[in-house]
Amino acid sequence: MANSIEAEKRAGWALVSPPFLYTLLALAVPFIVIVGLSFAGLEGGRARVPLAPGDAEKLYFTFENFARVLSEPIYRVVLLRSLIIAVCVTLATVLMAYPIAYFVSFYVAPSKKALWIFLITIPFWTSYIIRLALWRTILGYNGIFDNFVGIFGIEPMNLLSNGALAITITLSHAFAPFAVLPIFVALEKVDRSLLEAGQDLGETRWTTFLRVTLPLSMPGVMAAVLIVFIPVVGDYVTAKLMGGSTTPMIANLVEVEMLKKRDHAMGSAVAVTAMATVAVISILFVLLNRRFIGSKK
Amino acid sequence: MKSAPGLRSYAILYLVFLYGPILILPLFAFNNATVVSFPLSGFTTKWFSEMMADQALWRALRTSLQISLSTAVIATALGVMAARAAVRYRWPGKPGVMGLILLPLVLPEIIIAMSMLIVLIWLGAPQMWFTVILGHVLITLPFSVTIMTAAFQSIDVSFEEAALDLGETPISSFRLITLPLVMPGIISSFLISFTISIDEYIIANFLGGNDTALSVYIYGQFRFPAKVPMVLALGTCLVAMSILLLTIAEYFRRRGVARVGGKDSGGFL
Amino acid sequence: MTFSADKPTMIEFKDVHKYYGDYHALRGINGTIKAGEFFSLLGPSGCGKTTLLRTIAGFEDISSGVVMIDGKSMADVPANVRPTNMVFQSYAIFPHMSVEENVGFGLRRDPRSKAEKAKAVDEALEMVGLKGYGKRAAHALSGGQRQRVALARALILKPKVLLLDEPLSALDKKMREHMQVELIKLQRQVGITFILVTHDQEEALVMSDRIAVMFEGEIAQLADPETLYRRPNSKKVADFIGTMNFIPCTILSESGDKVEVDAKGLGKVALDIHQAPPAKGETPVVGLRPETLTLLYPGQSANDRETDGVIDEVIYFGDMTYYDVYLGGTDVEVRLSMRNVPGRPVLDVGTKVRVAWSPEALVLFR
Repeated sequence: MANSIEAEKRAGWALVSPPFLYTLLALAVPFIVIVGLSFAGLEGGRARVPLAPGDAEKLYFTFENFARVLSEPIYRVVLLRSLIIAVCVTLATVLMAYPIAYFVSFYVAPSKKALWIFLITIPFWTSYIIRLALWRTILGYNGIFDNFVGIFGIEPMNLLSNGALAITITLSHAFAPFAVLPIFVALEKVDRSLLEAGQDLGETRWTTFLRVTLPLSMPGVMAAVLIVFIPVVGDYVTAKLMGGSTTPMIANLVEVEMLKKRDHAMGSAVAVTAMATVAVISILFVLLNRRFIGSKK
Repeated sequence: MKSAPGLRSYAILYLVFLYGPILILPLFAFNNATVVSFPLSGFTTKWFSEMMADQALWRALRTSLQISLSTAVIATALGVMAARAAVRYRWPGKPGVMGLILLPLVLPEIIIAMSMLIVLIWLGAPQMWFTVILGHVLITLPFSVTIMTAAFQSIDVSFEEAALDLGETPISSFRLITLPLVMPGIISSFLISFTISIDEYIIANFLGGNDTALSVYIYGQFRFPAKVPMVLALGTCLVAMSILLLTIAEYFRRRGVARVGGKDSGGFL
Repeated sequence: MTFSADKPTMIEFKDVHKYYGDYHALRGINGTIKAGEFFSLLGPSGCGKTTLLRTIAGFEDISSGVVMIDGKSMADVPANVRPTNMVFQSYAIFPHMSVEENVGFGLRRDPRSKAEKAKAVDEALEMVGLKGYGKRAAHALSGGQRQRVALARALILKPKVLLLDEPLSALDKKMREHMQVELIKLQRQVGITFILVTHDQEEALVMSDRIAVMFEGEIAQLADPETLYRRPNSKKVADFIGTMNFIPCTILSESGDKVEVDAKGLGKVALDIHQAPPAKGETPVVGLRPETLTLLYPGQSANDRETDGVIDEVIYFGDMTYYDVYLGGTDVEVRLSMRNVPGRPVLDVGTKVRVAWSPEALVLFR
């Protein structure tokens, strides 16, 4: 019989190859094309697919697309807006989520924890387009929010007209469950006897929380931050529906470049810049926190 | 159990915040007024009748079902393979390959949609319901892999060995023992993939061409304020269906856990 | 323990090696297991005993060498057609099936009629003392019941060899002792070869006709329980099986079938060559089991040799007392065990005592 380790390797690869090849073709190949396009220039025009006949030799390698993304105000403003909105949404969701995760982990009976988590995650699985429709009717002029504040004699506010605010509110609602789960998981891993030890050593409940529970749950908080921040920066549909044409986010800009202007090189450069920015911020965040958490231990 | 009245009230407020908008759905879906605003003006089912009579909606629903059912089948099949390979076998490159398969979880859908669209344009391929499936399988596969990995991990490796030992071939062991034991996971993965796919808008919009999926159709209705109550009626149906499917999925997931005698450790994701 | 050496060979290992990548898990296994024998593979975790068992079952390929079952080489014979069945450590009771579906699982390809198969299942359940449990759900069984189901499921196929992978390790102490006896009875009843993997030396001694003690991928000693206990062939085996006192010694002379040693605290002793297993190049020590040393109470005298000592530690066990005693004014400490019987008081730490021992009980390791 053949070496069983070899046989295992072959079986594993054979089994994983359909999903792997699929992801390679449907994700990696298009991604490489995008990255390639973002460095593409075309003499006397803009690089796009499919290339016009005879254009192939006019292609050249360039950084000018990226130079434009970084120098022209429109790209900078929109990228900055995306980041600011993402930071606000992340702060809001994580701050709102922590007490909930803490409550479910520490104060809910073990048999009911799964039910609570299920309840918190359900809204996430309902049609986002429908939820957007709802937020438009809630925040719009003389909508439900205006009805509500009207009770207190406040004039209609028409929050929908403030694109960035409407986007932030809607996304904070949409990503709430995302933030609860990782914090909950981290809190579940906290050894309960450590808390008793803390109190045994003369800490109050509050100081035990600050000195034991909170630091131990920081990995969950970090995961929550990333899990909210990353997709929010790339949000397309919320900005489109809640922000209208006045407050686009970076993903909307990608669409404009790609489909409206048919400038595939520029669209790719915007997309790559956005992803690179998010990746750099995420990595910096993880590194900074690693140092912070490392020094605590 | 300790009690914390402050935290408990906050938790309830939080659930109200989460569910508030969804609870408004049926309220205005049955409200006899075109403008979605308080006070309510009486009960009606006319928005539902309008919805039922909308031919374009039915076409969109059919397109979406085509897309979502295919997505659920393909994603689950691929997810079973990847999860089984990851749990059962040791092979070089596993972290990288599994990382790539899970990567769409953190990629903005607009990037996935645009990059696939560029390639389709480049290849001169048409955009239609079929190409939407390509994108949807990509974004649902990570969920399927995660669910199926948990399902395979909960099974004792000796089960299949025991079946082999009792005279079954590797294939019949898988069919008689492993498959029934991961079936709850398969159902759960199928339902989750279906739910994600039918609700998804961006990929359906950019890769769908002239085949309008349900979410794209709903989006189109936003331009007409008079259609809002009908959209809410439709939303009521969709949300009810999602919650039903999820409850079934959760039921099967838990039954799967209970069946192999494991400990429940939370929900999806 | 009535094992006769003239029984035919059931399993034979010829220079079996197994590598996991660079890791050498089995390092040249040789030996035979007889038909109808209750055989144990005993050793600490990681010694290769489970790997060896799994090469018999066919779950592990071997890197080189030969495994023969009933005279046939098992190379290229997959697990599902080997004449062996296994009771898994976790029992591997299929959780989605009832007890009778589990027990009858291996009969799926059996050409017999449904009624005959049902009868076979009932008989198998009766044999393991689970008559009437057939309709129960598998997950509703206790640990002991699961094990019985696993036994019935394996035995219903009438294998030539039954493989048991630490089958008792998940049970509590009482249940374990009970099942040890049941397994011995069952083996006598069905008369087939049982091969048990265990890390529990007591379990192996109680149950087996013969035991292979394994360390680091090799069989250190293959013998019947009494030989293993009384005449271990190395310090390592002696230490793994039961408790043994090791006393430093010097070899004075070796001639023909006699070895004379000077053991610290015991003095000069002449040993038979049978008490000295082949030399391994280690520092010489003599070994003595605690029960071969006896405390002499005032008025008693030794039949054999005696040595003075001082009690350093007393460990009371109810039926027994263990004493740690310094021998004859040296720093050599031995443990000895005394049965607690009326008229024999438990002595205090610091008491000066006389210790009786017999040269025949000594084993020399060198």
